Amino acid sequence: MTTSTSRISMDNAIEALAKRRDDQVVVSTMTVMRPWRERAETDRDLICVGSMGSASTMGLGVQLARPDVPVWVIDGDGSLAMQLGSLLTIGNAAPRRFMHVVMHNGVYDTSGAQPVLSEGNMSFADLAKGAGYADAVRFDDIESFELAIDDLLDTDGPVLVELITEPSGDSYQGPEPGTSNQLPEDGRPVASALADAWPKVRDSLAGGD
Amino acid sequence: MTVAESIPAIELLEVLQAQGVTDVVAVPDTHQRSLITLLDLDDSIRFIQAATEDEAVAIAAGLIIGGRKPVVQIQHAGLYACVNHLRGIAGDGRFPIVFLIGLLGRDPFRAPSDHAGSMVALAEPLLDTMQVPRFLLDQRSDLGMIGAAFAVAEERQGPAAVLIGHTTA
Repeated sequence: MTTSTSRISMDNAIEALAKRRDDQVVVSTMTVMRPWRERAETDRDLICVGSMGSASTMGLGVQLARPDVPVWVIDGDGSLAMQLGSLLTIGNAAPRRFMHVVMHNGVYDTSGAQPVLSEGNMSFADLAKGAGYADAVRFDDIESFELAIDDLLDTDGPVLVELITEPSGDSYQGPEPGTSNQLPEDGRPVASALADAWPKVRDSLAGGD
Repeated sequence: MTVAESIPAIELLEVLQAQGVTDVVAVPDTHQRSLITLLDLDDSIRFIQAATEDEAVAIAAGLIIGGRKPVVQIQHAGLYACVNHLRGIAGDGRFPIVFLIGLLGRDPFRAPSDHAGSMVALAEPLLDTMQVPRFLLDQRSDLGMIGAAFAVAEERQGPAAVLIGHTTA
């Protein structure tokens, strides 16, 4: 349960992951997309927006297609809450090289910091364990996460890492009139951003055979 | 109209194999139960079960990224449940995903659109609204429609739907 007052900054969490970026396919979503892509984007990055909650199952599909390629999903708490059944689907499918990171900041950042439901009384790590993940752990300080992450990356998955993070305080106020379906950071249409990205990932994976 | 007939699951499976389908991603559909049973026994096509239809769409997208050729097998109620993912992932994301959609409870003597019940009657109009090409599989002679659905999905780089008109045998 989220009772600790200690929290990890999103920048520190992203930094810890980014410096371990190698050949993984990474699916990011919502608030974390922009800082992740600024820090660590490669031709194996996918975004999931406009279909909240599906980053993890999109990543699962990639991993089931290519079990030799590690997949990281960088999810949000509100996003995962929208597709909570996906924990069962992933637990059942049991992808071995699959790390599911959940940035648990406790709020819906972009819509005005409304609380995620049952905040303070639930744990995504506990839910994942109950759903059949091979391992699930939570961290509320960056030092503990840094000490554990390399072992977690060597652990047979699926592994869920719940990071208790600070709300980003994102100033995003939603799309301007007439610009719905656009990425907030650069105005690219969401549709073309996903449609543009995935063939590059497919080609990268095919080239790695 | 012709009366819808029950198509043997083995014939559906053979068509999927001929199309090079690698995975069936499904939320179990009563209407297509015999096909699910057959897929369980068959090693040529992997059966992947999802908790929701939204997840099935996203998994199929990931499989395509990884070089596989999936179909999504759901029921009409599941079509209604996954409208946003049909739009946002399959449509806007330009994934050539073919859906097999069971019309559970469909009267084989009536066209789907003539049904009083919304579950069967609204499936075709919804697909039309979502700009998803659709095919109604009512006879064994219609089995070629599955190949046509794959062809149009590839051509348009988007979803296509095959409505299974009668419970599979």
